[in-house]
Amino acid sequence: MLVALSLIAMAQDVKIAAAANLQSVIKPLAAEFKKQTGITVTAIHGASGKLTAQSMNGAPYDIFLSADVAFTQTLYNKGYSINKPMVYALGSLILCSQRPFDTKRWKKWLTDKSTQKIAIANPSTAPYGKAAIQVLKADALLTTLKPRLVYGESIAQVNTYITTGVVSVGFTTEALIRDPQLKTKLYWLKMDNNNYSPIKQAMVLLKAGKNKAGAQKFYEFLLSPAAKRIFKQYGYQVK
Amino acid sequence: MDAAPIWLSLKLATITTILLLVICLPLAWWLSKKRTIFRMLVEVLITMPLVLPPSVLGFYLLLAFSPQQGLGEWLHEAFDVQLVFSFPGLVLASVIYSLPFMAGPVKSALQQLPPSLAQASYTLGKSQWQTFKHILLPNIKPALLTAAVLTFAHTLGEFGVVLMIGGNIPGVTRVASVAVYDAVEQMDFLLAANYALLLFGITFLLLTGVFIYNRTQIKTPLE
Repeated sequence: MLVALSLIAMAQDVKIAAAANLQSVIKPLAAEFKKQTGITVTAIHGASGKLTAQSMNGAPYDIFLSADVAFTQTLYNKGYSINKPMVYALGSLILCSQRPFDTKRWKKWLTDKSTQKIAIANPSTAPYGKAAIQVLKADALLTTLKPRLVYGESIAQVNTYITTGVVSVGFTTEALIRDPQLKTKLYWLKMDNNNYSPIKQAMVLLKAGKNKAGAQKFYEFLLSPAAKRIFKQYGYQVK
Repeated sequence: MDAAPIWLSLKLATITTILLLVICLPLAWWLSKKRTIFRMLVEVLITMPLVLPPSVLGFYLLLAFSPQQGLGEWLHEAFDVQLVFSFPGLVLASVIYSLPFMAGPVKSALQQLPPSLAQASYTLGKSQWQTFKHILLPNIKPALLTAAVLTFAHTLGEFGVVLMIGGNIPGVTRVASVAVYDAVEQMDFLLAANYALLLFGITFLLLTGVFIYNRTQIKTPLE
């Protein structure tokens, strides 16, 4: 009986593969969606690259919310998705530390000896990591700072490194700062978005999904005014 | 294919094995003596890494070595040593992680020696240290070699801890197991296959060597 019940429950929920930067914003989104439709959303988080690889290898996700367009485009081109990539939000990159720093002189502070380890997400699998590299290049800091870089496997691991203080500073998503669950006092600065290509976060519905109807509903919900409000609260830009 | 992760793994395994030989010889000898509650507790602690998820060890190390507080802060202030995201940090983690692989077999081997061996030596006026060096050690050589090879191979296979405290820095903490993971994430399956095959080959040869060497012994290495 219990097994039957849980099977029904399993069939009802929508499984979404979500880029690690969405870890905090997904909670209020899922809560609002449940309020509107009664459907439960189960999120599986990871670096966008990893989730793409999993989706190509039979992972039973209904929707993939990437941190960029490229990974969703790959899935679409190879025939794993039902629809073309659809941008649902624009992410913004911040510099973030447990230590107070002079936001006007952040470059000087980064190159200072006291700044020992700088965390960025793995640039080959996490779009926020790629953006961080672009920012460092734009300000001609990459060569100097490369020996100090440590690579989180996703933005979530970068956030762990920042909030536990094992690194001096990290490049992460603004959503971290907006998370009501954040207990650590953090100092941060928004990076100039002219220095990195826009982090257009796109989604696709996946053919391997088990709950097409629920997935379609959630997809539409993410583009609705209610969802856009939530995205804005968490530091994302929406069109 | 970049050979750096493979070299790094081999370097890490070699250093870990040498350190554990130095640590575990006296430790196993002490453990092999008469059983007390205290010795048993120490043995339980040493065996823990065998059953504990690597993520638990990774989590504790992350907390312990954070330059913001406690031990990590002190190491940082006093010696300018940072143990997260550094090779020495991986060595320390590996020593903890592979401790049971060295301590266990060596202790068992010492316990299986007939007590008369050491007693005869003491009767002839040899000290504890002399007895250990000249009588007991030569008698457990096969067990020692087996333990060393298993420790080496086990350290090559380390992944979870490194992923948590390593930071994936090329040439510093990007070991072969992490390079495989990375290649799979980037959907570079050919690269992943190359690393994987190389790791498979190395460990297979190591273990085959141990089994052949131990064939002349009564026991197989896993006993």
